[in-house]
Amino acid sequence: MSAIRVINHSVRTMARFKLRTGFMMLGSVVGVAALTLVISAGQAAERKTMETVSRMFGDSAILIFDGGGHVMGGPRGQGTRLKLDDIDAIAKEIPNVESWDPQQGLPGGSVRHGDVAEQVRVMGESERSEHVWGRRASRGEYFDAAAVKTADRVAVIGETVVRRLFQDQDPLGAEIRIGSVPFRVIGVLEPWGTDPHGMDRDNEAIVPISTLMRRVTNVDTIASAKLLIRDSGAAERTRDEIRRILRERHALAANEPDDFTIITPAEVRGMVGQIRKVLFLYLPMVAGVALVVGGLVSAILMLVSVNGRTAEIGLRRAVGAGMGDIRLQFLVESAATTIAGGALGIALGYAGARGVAIHMHLGEVELFTAVLLGIVASIVVGLLAGVIPAMRAARLHPVDALR
Amino acid sequence: MIELEHINKTYVRPSGEAVHALTGVSLRIRRGEFLAIAGASGSGKSTLMHILGLLDSPEGGRYLLDGEDVSGLSVKQQARLRNRKIGFVFQSFQLLPRTSALENVELPLLYSDRGSIRGVGRRALEAVHLADRIHHRPSELSGGEQQRVAIARALINEPDLLLADEPTGNLDRQSAFEIMAIFQALNKAGRTIVVVTHDSEVAAHCGRIARIESGRIVSDQPVAQPKKALEAAK
Repeated sequence: MSAIRVINHSVRTMARFKLRTGFMMLGSVVGVAALTLVISAGQAAERKTMETVSRMFGDSAILIFDGGGHVMGGPRGQGTRLKLDDIDAIAKEIPNVESWDPQQGLPGGSVRHGDVAEQVRVMGESERSEHVWGRRASRGEYFDAAAVKTADRVAVIGETVVRRLFQDQDPLGAEIRIGSVPFRVIGVLEPWGTDPHGMDRDNEAIVPISTLMRRVTNVDTIASAKLLIRDSGAAERTRDEIRRILRERHALAANEPDDFTIITPAEVRGMVGQIRKVLFLYLPMVAGVALVVGGLVSAILMLVSVNGRTAEIGLRRAVGAGMGDIRLQFLVESAATTIAGGALGIALGYAGARGVAIHMHLGEVELFTAVLLGIVASIVVGLLAGVIPAMRAARLHPVDALR
Repeated sequence: MIELEHINKTYVRPSGEAVHALTGVSLRIRRGEFLAIAGASGSGKSTLMHILGLLDSPEGGRYLLDGEDVSGLSVKQQARLRNRKIGFVFQSFQLLPRTSALENVELPLLYSDRGSIRGVGRRALEAVHLADRIHHRPSELSGGEQQRVAIARALINEPDLLLADEPTGNLDRQSAFEIMAIFQALNKAGRTIVVVTHDSEVAAHCGRIARIESGRIVSDQPVAQPKKALEAAK
């Protein structure tokens, strides 16, 4: 068939003009790489976010933070009003609250064992945190209610702490110092890895909140609390009740703003929705612009190439090429450059997404999505870049082309 | 073999002015003739060649090629006929750059029904004495050699008519004589050749000269004693 010969011939012609072909490829490489990178990395980021969100909230949980303000962004006033009694009162008054865990922290406190000192995130929590956060001790045991009541100096530590302070030797029963206060290690936390903020959740030590507040930080307020609720359908009503109780207990006047923040599952869904919007609407839009620009660059280069090759087109027409043959040749050239550029773009985009994923601890990137997207993007660029120049080349009148 | 009857062709310049490139041109070319269409630039000789070569369509009149009326053919049919029946040689050779002589010669096969036949390109190059240059690229060949490659390309499909547009225009004297010698040899072997030129020296090598001025043929007569290019080339 003549078409196959023309295709063969076109590919050989392109191989002879490597620079021209390379420049035409550039547009699809950049566009496809951008889209593949953004979507693949976005997908990994979304999965990681969902993982974290479900770990923090489970099916139904309400978070209370000290200090008022906005949920996402914006300043949140340094609150000093939320107390253990507040949370206890809420748990007592609202039947929908199944369990609760107050938290106070010492971010980046210095923890020592022997001569080794490390910056460790120290959290004070109740004995219910094991249940409320769903994080158990993989070795040893968690502290119990009695330990919290009597403010025992016991600690459950993460694997990173074990590695850094104990060089992986058995830490159970050993003594560590948080600030200047000695604690006994009674358990090791199951590993959680790194969260999307890049925080190593295994570089933590959890101690009874009473011990932390009384012996280490010397404060009587807490930072936050997580409440598990029985009926997640009633979450909004529960939030209103919590708000009423806290405003009452904090004696806030009607015109004063809340000095605490409550986050409900609905608000979490809203936040997740916003994150999704950024990941799958705004970022891909930017990448889509890159793709279209890449396609246009390829198209312009292709048009320039057509203009520079009028004599060749005229000659081909003179020796018997029909308009269809010329169109086919230029379509083959743009298709081949786009496919080759697209393949390169997929590889670059995938590699880039993996780089981002590793850097931001997002876990694995799906190859399938990257390839599928890359192919779709290549077709878009190919159509943009190929069709118009090919039509133009075919329409050139042989007499004008030979002039 | 070729009959043109009352051919007209008008161009419209970008300024809107109409130019009568050809007015009532009638011309008969018999098989085996070696005709020069001579005229100054702007005389309409190139337009006439484009119409003879089926690169352009006349507006009025009739064009019979091999007894077949080809004045009203579609673009596609014209392309097929060009491929089968007409070989072109251009002033500026029009070889594909970075492409071997052999592949340049075989280009018309790309668009023909019979496809590539082994050895055809090589034989065509041998016929123009370039057997030792088949893998050279145009940039590695002299002007005369490039034009010989173009002639081999024009002949590859065994066309009925060889059309040459100022074939020696870009060549030095020596190479020009070589090209004319090849044309004379081809004509002697029975090939019908039409050369379009403004150069009376070139025309003097042909068997017949049709002079064209302002779109009309003003004289058309045989050359009593065509010059012999082969002797001049030596």
